[in-house]
Amino acid sequence: MLLKKRCVAMLLAGGQGSRLGVLTRNMAKPAVPYGGKYRIIDFPLSNCSNSGIDVVGVLTQYQPLELNAYIASGAPWDLDLVNGGIFVLPPYQTGKSGEWYKGTANAIYQNMPFISQYNPDYVLILSGDHIYKMDYAAMIAHHIAHGADATIAVRQVPWEEASRFGIMNTDENDRIVEFEEKPKNPKSNNASMGVYVFTWEKLRKYLIEDEQNPDSSNDFGKNIIPAMLRDGQVMTAYSFNGYWKDVGTIESLWEANMDLLEDVPEIDLHDKKFRIYARNLGMLPQYIAPTAEVDNCLITEGCRILGKVKHSILSSGAVVEEGAEVLDSVIMPGAVIKAGAKVRRAIVAENAVVESGAKVGEETGLIAVVAQGVTVPDGCYVKAGEQYAQN
Amino acid sequence: MKNLMGLIYTGERDSQLKELTTTRAVAAMPLCGRYRLIDFPLSAMVHSGVRNVGVIMQKNYHSLVDHLGPGKEWDLHGKRSGLVMLPPFMMKENVGVYSGFLDALRSNLHYLRRSKEPYIVITDTHMLFSARFDDMLRSHIESGADITLLYAKNENVRNSGAGRYMVVEKDGRVSGLEVDPAQPSMPCTYLECFLAKRELLIDLVDRAVARGQYHLTRDLLMNGIYSGALNVRGFEHQGLVWQIDSVQAYFECSMDLLNQETRDGLFSQDRPVLTKLRDEMPSRYLSGARVSNSLIADGCVIEGTVENCILFRGVRVGKDAVVRDSIIMQDGQVLEGVEIQNCILDKNATIREHNKLLAPRSFPMVVPKNILI
Repeated sequence: MLLKKRCVAMLLAGGQGSRLGVLTRNMAKPAVPYGGKYRIIDFPLSNCSNSGIDVVGVLTQYQPLELNAYIASGAPWDLDLVNGGIFVLPPYQTGKSGEWYKGTANAIYQNMPFISQYNPDYVLILSGDHIYKMDYAAMIAHHIAHGADATIAVRQVPWEEASRFGIMNTDENDRIVEFEEKPKNPKSNNASMGVYVFTWEKLRKYLIEDEQNPDSSNDFGKNIIPAMLRDGQVMTAYSFNGYWKDVGTIESLWEANMDLLEDVPEIDLHDKKFRIYARNLGMLPQYIAPTAEVDNCLITEGCRILGKVKHSILSSGAVVEEGAEVLDSVIMPGAVIKAGAKVRRAIVAENAVVESGAKVGEETGLIAVVAQGVTVPDGCYVKAGEQYAQN
Repeated sequence: MKNLMGLIYTGERDSQLKELTTTRAVAAMPLCGRYRLIDFPLSAMVHSGVRNVGVIMQKNYHSLVDHLGPGKEWDLHGKRSGLVMLPPFMMKENVGVYSGFLDALRSNLHYLRRSKEPYIVITDTHMLFSARFDDMLRSHIESGADITLLYAKNENVRNSGAGRYMVVEKDGRVSGLEVDPAQPSMPCTYLECFLAKRELLIDLVDRAVARGQYHLTRDLLMNGIYSGALNVRGFEHQGLVWQIDSVQAYFECSMDLLNQETRDGLFSQDRPVLTKLRDEMPSRYLSGARVSNSLIADGCVIEGTVENCILFRGVRVGKDAVVRDSIIMQDGQVLEGVEIQNCILDKNATIREHNKLLAPRSFPMVVPKNILI
């Protein structure tokens, strides 16, 4: 018998993130690098750690190797505990049955025995799709104060974008009266962030019912939340006003990185009271050579900069050789930009090499991408919006 | 490798480091942006397969304990192995301050007796080099030596003060050893690191202390060599060695590390130097920053000019500030318009707006910890 926990977090990390193209060819979306020394999953995990949530189940399915290796014992997030900790939960066989996770709700359904071990009062459902710092403890307190069965974190989005989101229409007491998935004519601009707190007993009941319905797509947004709303369960919206950025597409991932280069970035990663933790390799400090020109950049350990870098993010162990130019770009861990190469408005993925005479990206237009581990040969030109994934 | 244990001595040799070692042991001296001196022997031991490492502490060891913690960063936090901290404890025959390395060993004989590995490698911490103790053990076993001393040729040693020198014959036998001569007469430098059978060492320490001897090099090693009682052999360390025993030596060593080749020699790809992590965000270079030939750790924010410098984690260099040939330790702040040259700012020092601190290269200025100028 394990000790009771007040709240267990379940992080949905099984999605492919196909809109990230070649960046998620070999890894699940939550493992995609961000901001020089982080990966997307560091944000929800650090949020848990900073919120005092110490049991986190990570549901994996698509390309889990890199993610598993990254999470390992959970030590970087202080989640290597005797009582609690981090657990990677892939789908598994039971008796004669056993199947892949069919949807977000089914993934949690299949792991009900895991959650029940801790006999929690609440379950926090998270995803690995966003860059944000959030105190989940405050959200759980809001859930309790409102006597809610479900609480959904919402964020105000620009009205013109509201029709891209799941929109929550609320009354004056934050109680959700209506939920509309991607409405054509939105009645409010409170978009669901995909962060939910449920009272465990209630969620359990709805997961079981949902599973018995063969027509259900077993999804929180499409099935569970509408069903609870229909039955008149107490559902409240919890407003979050901090930085929150979806990094589900190449363009938005690039933008979220560039946001860190603002004069005063909206998301403060220096904050010692709410640290974002990451597994770091402990490399040498970055070396900036006499030939280097560095202007408005974020550079991290293990980098060697001998060329010109401007308005860019350079991740662990990246190398920019003498005479190379990097502008408005994200260079992921271990990538090498050789002497004379030019990189503009681009994402160069882990351990990729841009050879001397190569050019990646253009000064305007869509973001160019070089896939993990590939070499862009001399004379090659990767145009705006192109994804280079050869060899 | 289950047959070698390690012991790190962190006590002596700090008198010339002045303010830099008033609140920390030499072993805890910050180096190269994010490391401390003890990281080098400790990582070298771990990479050589050592799974049992004792750290003998003496004075001002708070920062050392804080740095090492349970030894997680070195994978030394297991049940069957690990890091053993050995601070002094008062007893009838132990007054808390060791009269020398030998005395320190005697005080910790209980730990040596309790350990199971047949061989032990012992090293001090004021010498900086990247050792391969597995190779040293192999050589020790092959040569049949009682004790193997690690040495380097004098020309490979950056040494500004006193040293310990030795003569190694062609067959590897050590035929001479001298301590702190005014003019060294021997061609090799003893790196104050040796390897022996654990039980032999316990026996030697026991007998030496019983005769009232406290100096390891003078009393135990030298006697053994010159009387022929011990078969002492040398094992050569091929790379560079820095003896960090004065402010100047520390400063020059740091400046040497701005050279890529020098760095490559000390930090090998396959045996990285491990250290405590701090979860700082990447460093931010704002518009107007001009950085050249410098090593910068994470968490820095740079708006001014930085040339030939080492900046530790969390350092701020303000607008129009000019920092040249200097070392700024963790969380140091150099505000707007400040000019600095040949300075060592200890942890958390702050230089207020428009101050000038210009020291000559031969006498770097030390700004102590937590000082505001």
